[in-house]
Amino acid sequence: MSAIVPPLNHPCWLRLANGGLSRITTKHLGTQLMTKRLERSAAPAPDRAAEIHSFFARWERALPNEIAQLSRA
Amino acid sequence: MNELITIDAAAALIREGRALAIAGPEVALDALPRGRWIGGTIPYFMARDGGVVDNQARVFVTELPASGATSFAHYAANELHNLVAKAPDNGYTLAIIPAASEAHKRFAADASSYEGAFLKPTVGWISGVHLSELGTRTPKVYDGATGTRHEDGVVAAHVTLPASQMASVEIVNIFEPETGDVLRFDTTTFEPAECTINGEKVNLAHYLAQRGLEHGRQPLVGDYAGANINVSFQSVNAAQGKVTLYAPVFPGVDYRVARPVVDYSGEFRRQLASFDKSGAVFSCNCILNFLYGELEGQAIGGMQGPTTFGEIGYQLLNQTTVVLRVL
Repeated sequence: MSAIVPPLNHPCWLRLANGGLSRITTKHLGTQLMTKRLERSAAPAPDRAAEIHSFFARWERALPNEIAQLSRA
Repeated sequence: MNELITIDAAAALIREGRALAIAGPEVALDALPRGRWIGGTIPYFMARDGGVVDNQARVFVTELPASGATSFAHYAANELHNLVAKAPDNGYTLAIIPAASEAHKRFAADASSYEGAFLKPTVGWISGVHLSELGTRTPKVYDGATGTRHEDGVVAAHVTLPASQMASVEIVNIFEPETGDVLRFDTTTFEPAECTINGEKVNLAHYLAQRGLEHGRQPLVGDYAGANINVSFQSVNAAQGKVTLYAPVFPGVDYRVARPVVDYSGEFRRQLASFDKSGAVFSCNCILNFLYGELEGQAIGGMQGPTTFGEIGYQLLNQTTVVLRVL
C-alpha cells in the first residue's frame, strides 16, 4: 500500500518546515536540493510548510519512502 | 534518438518536423535549417564508443517527444523564471544557456528560488566553445524555430508528459568530500576571497595553495541534505589571493574539498554500472571531467550526450553527469 500525503492542515508540515525536513532520509535529488533551499530560506514557516506539502503532493507516486517518514519527522 | 550524427542527418530530422535538442560546433549549428529545435555550441561529446572532439562535422541530437508535446522558447536573462513558470505541470524543461553570459550568472545564483522549481524539473547544460577558441569565439544558443542564435538568455524545450509518466532528474558524481575542514561562505559569489574554516576567516586561494591544491582539480563539494553538489575551480591564483569558480558558493552550505580521483573513466564505469539507466532520455557530462579524466576515446558505460561548460539539474552543477529519466 502506498503512503498517503497528509492534508495541508496536518501539523507535520510545520514541523518539517521548522527543521524536520532535514531528518528525512532520501537520495532523491529534488528532495535534497529543496531541503537545502528551504534551510537557507527566510520565508515564513507557513509558506515553507505549504511548499513542502506541494512538493510531496506533486511527487507522491515517486517518493513513497520519504512520504512514509513525514509524520514522524 | 540520442546520438552523434552528421549535419546532413540532423538537417533531415529537422525537415521531418522532429522536435530536437542539438549540441554541436557553431559552424554545424549555423548550417541547420529552421525547425522545431533548440541548440547550443559545444564540440565535446560522450558518444557510444567514448569521448569525441568534433569542431566541424557532427552534432549530438536528442529527440524530444512528438508534435504537440514539446514547445520551444528563448527567454532573456531577466526572464529566466519562465523556465519554470512556462513549464507544463507534468513534464520537464530542457534548457541551454551560453557560458559566461548574464543568464549563466543569474541562473547559477537564482535557479533554486524560482517558484515551483522543484515541482517542474529543469535539466540541461551550459554551452561553450573549443578550448582553443576561448576568448576569440563566444558560446551561443540557438532557437531553431526563429532561426536565431543568441549569446545570452536561455533556449528552452518545454516537454509535456502524459499523466502515466513522470520526469526524474538524477546525477552521477564521482567526487566524494574529504573528511577534514568544513568551508563556509558569507555571500553568494563566483569569486570568493575569504571563507570560514574552523571558525577562522581564511583567504581561500592561500588555503588551497598551502594544501597543494592550487591546480584546482579537486572541486569543492557542498552538502545539500546529503547530496554532493560540486563547485569547480576556474582558476586559483595564490599570489593575488584570488579564486574564480564555475558556479557560485552559497551561504548556509557546508563545503569540503573533494578527495582526488585517480581513474576518472574507471570511476565513471564503476558508478554507471550500478546506475539504473531505464527510461534515460538525456544526459550530459562536464568538460572538466572530460579533460582531467582524458576521456577522449574512452567509453564510460553507456551514457551519451554533450560534454559541457556546466550541467543543469534543477540548478547549475559542475563536474557532474546529469541524467534525465522518464518513468
